[in-house]
Amino acid sequence: MTKVKDALILNLNGLSFEEYEKITDIIGKKPDEFELGIFSAMWSEHCCYKSSKLHLKNLPAGGPAVIIGPGENAGVIDFGDGDVLVFKMESHNHPSYIEPFQGAATGVGGIMRDVFTMGARPVANLNSLRFGSLSHPKTPYYLSEVVKGIGFYGNCMGVPTVGGEVVFDPCYNDNILVNAFTIGIAKKEGIFLSSGAGTGDTVVYVGSATGMDGIHGATMASEEFDSKKNQRRSTVQVGDPFTEKLLLEACLEAMEKKLIVSIQDMGAAGLTSSSFEMASNSEKGMIIDLDEVPLRTPNMTPVEIMLSESQERMLLVCKKNDYEKISGIFKKWDLNCRSIGKIIEEKFIKFYRGSKLYKIMPVDAVVNGPVYDRAAKEPGYRKKIKPLSIEKYGLPEDFNIIAQRLIYSPNIASKRPVYRQYDYSIGTNTVVPPGSSCAVMRVRPYFSAEIPDMLHIPDIGMDMLSIIPGIIKNAKDKDKDIEDIDIRDKSGGGKDRHKNKGFVLNVNGNSKYCYLDPYAGSVIAVTECARNIAAAGGTPIAITDCLNFASPEDPEVMWQFKESIRGLKDAAAKFNTPVISGNVSFYNETSKIDKDGKIMTSKIYPTPVIAMVGFIDDVNKAVTSYFKEEGDEVFLIGRLKGNLGGSLYMDLVHKDFMQPPLLIDLDYEIKLQEFIRGLANEGLVKSASDISEGGLFVALAESAVANPDKLLGVQISLHKNGIRDDALLFSEFEQAFIVSLAKREKQKLIKYGKAFNISFNADIEIDYIGEVTKDRIKINNTIELKSDKIRKGYYSAVENILL
Amino acid sequence: MVMAMIGDKKINAGITVFPGSNCDMDVYYALKDVFGLNVSFIWHKDRLLDCKKYHFIVIPGGFSYGDYLRAGALAARSGIMESLKEYADSGGIILGICNGFQILLEAGLLGGAMLTNSSLRFECKTVYLKVLNKGTPFTCMLENGSVLKMPIAHHDGNYYAKNDDIVKLKDARGLIFQYCDINGNVTAEANPNGSIDNIAGISNGKFNVMGLMPHPERASEKLTGSIDGAKIFNSVIKYIKNI
Repeated sequence: MTKVKDALILNLNGLSFEEYEKITDIIGKKPDEFELGIFSAMWSEHCCYKSSKLHLKNLPAGGPAVIIGPGENAGVIDFGDGDVLVFKMESHNHPSYIEPFQGAATGVGGIMRDVFTMGARPVANLNSLRFGSLSHPKTPYYLSEVVKGIGFYGNCMGVPTVGGEVVFDPCYNDNILVNAFTIGIAKKEGIFLSSGAGTGDTVVYVGSATGMDGIHGATMASEEFDSKKNQRRSTVQVGDPFTEKLLLEACLEAMEKKLIVSIQDMGAAGLTSSSFEMASNSEKGMIIDLDEVPLRTPNMTPVEIMLSESQERMLLVCKKNDYEKISGIFKKWDLNCRSIGKIIEEKFIKFYRGSKLYKIMPVDAVVNGPVYDRAAKEPGYRKKIKPLSIEKYGLPEDFNIIAQRLIYSPNIASKRPVYRQYDYSIGTNTVVPPGSSCAVMRVRPYFSAEIPDMLHIPDIGMDMLSIIPGIIKNAKDKDKDIEDIDIRDKSGGGKDRHKNKGFVLNVNGNSKYCYLDPYAGSVIAVTECARNIAAAGGTPIAITDCLNFASPEDPEVMWQFKESIRGLKDAAAKFNTPVISGNVSFYNETSKIDKDGKIMTSKIYPTPVIAMVGFIDDVNKAVTSYFKEEGDEVFLIGRLKGNLGGSLYMDLVHKDFMQPPLLIDLDYEIKLQEFIRGLANEGLVKSASDISEGGLFVALAESAVANPDKLLGVQISLHKNGIRDDALLFSEFEQAFIVSLAKREKQKLIKYGKAFNISFNADIEIDYIGEVTKDRIKINNTIELKSDKIRKGYYSAVENILL
Repeated sequence: MVMAMIGDKKINAGITVFPGSNCDMDVYYALKDVFGLNVSFIWHKDRLLDCKKYHFIVIPGGFSYGDYLRAGALAARSGIMESLKEYADSGGIILGICNGFQILLEAGLLGGAMLTNSSLRFECKTVYLKVLNKGTPFTCMLENGSVLKMPIAHHDGNYYAKNDDIVKLKDARGLIFQYCDINGNVTAEANPNGSIDNIAGISNGKFNVMGLMPHPERASEKLTGSIDGAKIFNSVIKYIKNI
């Protein structure tokens, strides 16, 4: 009987039998419900990375720009002039599949909390979203709700959402992916950590009261789904961005006044992970009085209190004498603030209830979960991948039809119907908003937003009653004043500040390529981010990642994971972009019973998503990806291979993409990107675009129709020996860029190219291929399309999916 | 930088801060660093002890009180609004932007109400505005019929008032800005939220209180895409200097 009961509890908490035995050994008895709850949350894949830890160690994580690498709430890089940038990306896949609006909203809320916990004010968000097939009946619902949820939270917080990606593929029919990224800015000396708490310090709970939402969220996110998905709704948290906005301001105010010793947000596993990790990182213990935790549901049990994932809560530690001051700040912002315990020397957490000692648990054992080196095996489907012999496939009869199918494909088409639901201009730092290939942000002077004492505001010395407005009579010499506004001449922020510096953001993944070859696909994902940053004129600096995979207990998935890590490692090392933070999301798979009563498991493709941050010296020089002016000349910089393996063209037109993707020559790539960055910094090019999904045709057509202010066209003449037309136009991730420049700059470009090739010992090719025209997209004699028609289809394809 | 001074004194601008205001720092930055004003925040729980300290006051955008109940409804009943009403009555200049516009409506300082956008979605995009009345402190450096480029970002910007009230508003020349296309044509296509008569900004009868859905503070520097918003702030500054 007891055995059956134990098994039930185990099932509920997601621990394996071996793990249960191990816990029994550690605490010297069978764990009760409270102990089991805490162990199972902290030992879940989501919290302790038991299947990935060994492999993540292989990723490059250090370098001169890195101030804090993986392990804290977010990574930190040096931004010069005493500033740092704090960023991280995190998945919220499982909650978003159960309840897409709240799941996505709280994903955004959680990642912003990770960033402001470190003392940084969030300044930009990105997201990477993956949904099922367009023909799947639930895809419009998931897309619409996730986008609404992201907007709901980010817009209210006042943090601009400046970029992202939206991908549709049948492999996400039963497991959508929602990955959210936040970057914040702080002063170097103003970084806060979850370590450093001293014995006798006060443990303070701030923010929303604890409720019944999200209990067992961490364990839920560490299991695959089955047909009972809808019973899991209670494990999804409910977000309140208004409270988080108050929490942000209150925390930053307390931090600025140096009242906080250490701090950690209550994310996955809520009060459990924050208290144990804080104690562990400080090498101390803690007393927690459960009676002092503010509750929104009366009579919650101790384990419910500890495992609740109610949002908008923080745990912080302060000096005993500072508690009253902290309490005053949170009171001002109408937030809960309660002293719930103190730091002790012994590395145990002692829980009190009803003024009595309720439980004692060892910090180290709870925090140091098991680590597994799981079996890996090359997947069987890989045998079906055969090198592409394009000559076996006929050439399309009408390229115009194929070209339109590609550019109207929602994976390629504009995501404007999505990003216009996000406030991307708030904060007045967005220099290049969504719609170009990556976002460029400037950094406004950083100032304290303290509310002044009313009495100390100088009098204006005039009678207000005298300025009752009437009809204005005289308003001459106005243009002079307006022209006087010179943005480069601002005084705010201090004289020593580098006024024009900025950063460039990009997020990318390509799961189809990762399915075919997780190594090559992961290299492409990193390369693609770096390309977009280079095209804007930026230099890649660091990476954060979300590694979305199916169950690590499946050796074939583990093989995908290890190969993907190997690709990330090689590419990140080459681009000199350490992986400073990130997250792993396993168990993105769902078991269903099919018509014949057989259990079917649908697994997502391996989906490593990379977000890269780059720096740009002068945001005024940032280059966008679309053409600017009729008559500008168009050049192809780099080389074309014409490999259609795994491409969208092969998938859409020939219904067969099981071919090896292009392997990127990283040494050539580094030089090519250096070249492109140089062109931007020299101010030689008006637009620069890489060649990604959909190939050269899509790069050219997008450049023509994506200018927000005017409709343009392009006329191209380009032939490469040995590459037939479909391979020329639709091969993806070619190591080449499309740039446009004013006619008079042509000679400068050629000269620059010669000098570059000599000094970098490079052989970057520069080909004149045509010019920007008025209203037609014409490529060789194969494609001729009207720009206005293409533009309409390009901007409406995703709108047609939204509810 | 425009040094906005009166004699040897700087112009004082106040910015209200409600819980959930999130454009407060954007406006602060624009007024202080771009226009060189003396700027301070006004906390929602305070009362203005002396209205004379401010030449003008901005109610910035955001989600005051989380937009709970209705956008602007709770802020309109908070402590500071009593003072702002007195300030407006005594002729003080108030600009309500986005959520600030919603608050002015809810507080009764302007007439009408905001409905949810006709798309039922949050809309963030660049719009064009046509100036209808240059005879206000907010438009005195503009010409009637001129077109401004500015971003919007809101969920509830669909201005509504009864037909009679719209007629009265127009008669009183309180219709200040309309959404239009790049050439100044007021069309249904150019209307981002379904507002009556493409209304984007209105003022009270004395022209000292204006509500505006688009964000002039986000269009005050070339770098962020437009300086047309600066023309509104410059008008206010010019107006105050010329009194």
